[in-house]
Amino acid sequence: MMKQTIMTWLALVLSSLLWAQEYQVADADELRAALRIAVDGDSVRLSAGDYVGRFEIQSGIRIEGTPQTILDAQGEGNVLTVLADNVVIRNLTLRNWGRNLTDTNSGIKAVQVANLTIHNNRLNGPGFGIYLEQVIGAEVRANEITGNPEMRSADRGNGIHLISSQQVLVSDNRVRQTRDGLYIISSQHNELRNNRMTDLRFGVHYMYSHSNTVTGNYAANVDVGYALMSSQKLIIENNTAESCRDYGLLMNFINQSVFSGNEMNRVQADSDRAIAGDAGKALFIYNATGNVLHHNTFANSDLGIHLTAGSEGNQIYANNFINNRTQVKYVSSREQEWSLEGQGNYWSDYIGWDLDQDGLGDTAFEPNDGIDKLLWRYPEARVLMDSPAVRLLRWVQHNFPVLKSPGVKDSHPSLNPIGVSQ
Amino acid sequence: MTTKNKTPDQVNEAELLDDSSSRRSFFKKSAVVGAAGFAVPAMTASMFSQMANAATNEKMAKHNVGPGELDEYYGFWSGGHSGEVRVLGLPSMRELMRIPVFNTESATGWNITNESKAILGEGSKFPNGDSHHPHMSMQDGRYDGKYVFINDKANTRVARIRCDIMKTDKIVNVPNAHAIHGLRVQKVPHTKYVFCNGEYEVPLPNDGSVLDDPSKYVSLFNAIDAEKMEMAWQVIVDGNLDNTDADYDGRFVASTSYNSEMGMNLGGMIAAERDHVVVFDVPAIEKAIAAGQYKVYNGVKVVDGRKAAGNNLTRYIPVPKSPHGMNTSPNGEYFVANGKLSPTVSVIAIKKLPQLFDNKIDPRDTIVAEPELGLGPLHTAFDNRGNAYTTVFIDSQIVKWNVEDAIKHYNGDKVNYIRQKLDVQYQPGHNHTTMGETRDADGKYLVALCKFSKDRFLPVGPLHAENDQLIDISGDEMKLIHDGPTFAEPHDCMIVHRSKMKPLKIWKRDDPFFAGTVAMAKKDGVTLETDNKVIRDGKKVRVYMTSVAPSFGMEKFEVNQGDEVTVVVTNLDMIEDVTHGFAMTNHGVSMEIGPQATSSVTFVADKPGVHWFYCHWFCHALHMEMRGRMLVKPA
Repeated sequence: MMKQTIMTWLALVLSSLLWAQEYQVADADELRAALRIAVDGDSVRLSAGDYVGRFEIQSGIRIEGTPQTILDAQGEGNVLTVLADNVVIRNLTLRNWGRNLTDTNSGIKAVQVANLTIHNNRLNGPGFGIYLEQVIGAEVRANEITGNPEMRSADRGNGIHLISSQQVLVSDNRVRQTRDGLYIISSQHNELRNNRMTDLRFGVHYMYSHSNTVTGNYAANVDVGYALMSSQKLIIENNTAESCRDYGLLMNFINQSVFSGNEMNRVQADSDRAIAGDAGKALFIYNATGNVLHHNTFANSDLGIHLTAGSEGNQIYANNFINNRTQVKYVSSREQEWSLEGQGNYWSDYIGWDLDQDGLGDTAFEPNDGIDKLLWRYPEARVLMDSPAVRLLRWVQHNFPVLKSPGVKDSHPSLNPIGVSQ
Repeated sequence: MTTKNKTPDQVNEAELLDDSSSRRSFFKKSAVVGAAGFAVPAMTASMFSQMANAATNEKMAKHNVGPGELDEYYGFWSGGHSGEVRVLGLPSMRELMRIPVFNTESATGWNITNESKAILGEGSKFPNGDSHHPHMSMQDGRYDGKYVFINDKANTRVARIRCDIMKTDKIVNVPNAHAIHGLRVQKVPHTKYVFCNGEYEVPLPNDGSVLDDPSKYVSLFNAIDAEKMEMAWQVIVDGNLDNTDADYDGRFVASTSYNSEMGMNLGGMIAAERDHVVVFDVPAIEKAIAAGQYKVYNGVKVVDGRKAAGNNLTRYIPVPKSPHGMNTSPNGEYFVANGKLSPTVSVIAIKKLPQLFDNKIDPRDTIVAEPELGLGPLHTAFDNRGNAYTTVFIDSQIVKWNVEDAIKHYNGDKVNYIRQKLDVQYQPGHNHTTMGETRDADGKYLVALCKFSKDRFLPVGPLHAENDQLIDISGDEMKLIHDGPTFAEPHDCMIVHRSKMKPLKIWKRDDPFFAGTVAMAKKDGVTLETDNKVIRDGKKVRVYMTSVAPSFGMEKFEVNQGDEVTVVVTNLDMIEDVTHGFAMTNHGVSMEIGPQATSSVTFVADKPGVHWFYCHWFCHALHMEMRGRMLVKPA
């Protein structure tokens, strides 16, 4: 055994003298040895099998396994710690890393490196899946990350965690049962594309990160699909969220951004309305201005859009509002027009005529009548709501608006749902 | 798309509620409906409006404080970077008084009079302050109505307000620390110490010997002797310090730290997944001081509470990223650290802390609940029914939750700990319940101090008022009952029942507030209550006069150009609310002299000629005539 190890050592040492060596390893000791001697440009291939321990990648190498290559950190620390630029990690199964969030235990942890590639790995563990801090240039693609549902959500790590990192492409990953799916903070010029995030706290938890693109992602069975905060110049396109508890898409202090083709469906608080004020909001726009929202769908939720003061100056047109318990909640003393150049939105509760057959309703639609607004201002009046007189009054008011008050108005409501193709 | 912002004159809530033109048009429309064969609605729009209005009025009636009625509570509001403290009445939210503290104030002459300058001390040179957290002194966890303490983040000071005269009577400049932020008092057995946090990180000592080497920076936790208003001791900690609160046993104080990383920029400060709560063991610190285990920096005894010191003075409990508020539940069971960048708050069981200090459990084992409340939890207040009320900044809501249910949920029970979410306008920071930081928490009202008012008030230019909202929490559901615009920028408030307060109506002649001036008069052989005299001491002239509405005891006095003149006025009126003023025209001099008080002000008479002085606090029908002349002879 000893002899064999020495032989392996010798082979490794000799081969490392050549340029771009490839090491084939079959157990943890060999892997550790290879990682010690491999230099920039080398490759380490891991055969199928179990590799127990924690491993550090100290040079710019490619490390690649097979579907049956399993690295197990035995519940402590990180499985892989990346300490060098130009590292490629492919096709490994990483599991059972530590759960110490204070130390950010992770499946793959990289701090202050550049040009990192993480492809086609399967990760399953309690702490963070992939943790990148101060990384410049990375591609995190087609990884499958699963957390530990036995743990409290707040005690789990995030699936993919980017902090102070730039030029990172995060695409085609599947994240489930971690705390948040993709957590992005203080990170600019990144792209999040076609990721699938399910059974989480937040799908995308996003803060203080400008000039990023978020496209084609899917989030389901989450508290919040996409929580976007304190960021500018985002492109948010063709994302889907469904079965969310609190928010489909939350925009807080998001400015000069474009939102199109997104679909937020079934955002419903699970409290059977037993808890006052606890409503699922397909879209929550707060203190956000200068954004364009078009060709989005907000459907089957407690609230379609909750828009608050300080969120003026957004262009909102060609969206679909379908079967939300309340289509729009807008508590403000200022008026907004939600159509652009004759193109309004589709409202499932619009009852009107199109005599000129241009596909647009002949009369403007105001999603909230005066009674809604009265109730927002005077919630005490809710007890009056069930009276038939109020219902009739509502109907009358709808058709012959007499309680005029500032709010959202769509002068060109569409009679048919608007396709998401632009 | 065009967004039409209505001008204020177009926006009128009355329009919504009871607009006669709408009503007219409604009747017209309903007539049409009737004609078309529908029943005429039993209730018209205006009737509905009136009912809504009536329902609202009925709800409001029990909170209404009518003309001539007195409020149930005093609220002490910090004035933020105005540097002052304000007294409000609750539930009316009427502003009752402004107490200048760190600012310079024209009406009362704060930082103009000799008495206020003596209290400000070397801080008198600063024209500004940034007051955040007013907290009242206590006896056995209950407000005693004696003092309110307040921090100055801008110039690293702590002030004390005497609640009998409602004036600032002491100010401590805190050495070594940098920017005092969180402040609370020792609750039990009584307020021996005021605890406060140095938020920013600097070298110790910060004398220029270390500059751009953040590895040598520290933050300091501070204990101030509340009675003497002197520094008692300081503790060096790991990380920075944000907010703080004390327990109900007299042993522990806990502070949040959002920069455990000791980052020097935003990215660096938010890097760590977890920051921490640092818990201080006060008797252990006192014991270490008594045993001489301290170093003296700038005259203050400083102990080392960093982890590396390996002692029993502090413990560090990791909590999710960037915690902010720190609040003790009024039953004395829990410290609650509010997550800010985490949607959770961390509930720390105080009864587990002795085991933590004995190294019998891990720091995280002291956490008994970590409920998810919403985005941006900042501060938590409590009622007397086991509920907590947390401000969530991003969601712009108050979340009411039940503490014991949150603990059950943490232990795996499927129980919903959330009781209600209430929208507030907009983006709340601190909140505070009536008596909620004492054993006397009564669960009646909650104040949410919102950072933005946006469209809630008539626009008054680009600078907006804050919006301090009053919420009725006495029932099962929170109810928003009042919007209160406030000028820059209350961070926090504390609310005390009026039964605890015993403010004076008239000054006592032996009040220490102006004892220095009384001593000066005595030295000059002047009896303040009777004499009107000019004492000349070289180029220094002291002018002593009395005032009784509507006249000063001296109609004129004469000085030489260039003299340093000190005017001392004693108000002999004994009538409640007859305050006099003294303003010297064209000299930047004005001050308040309350009934039976003595105030003094010193200035240089640098302009020859006749200068009128006058009473600028209205006192009498002949107030305009209450004036006199200073005659300045050319040099």
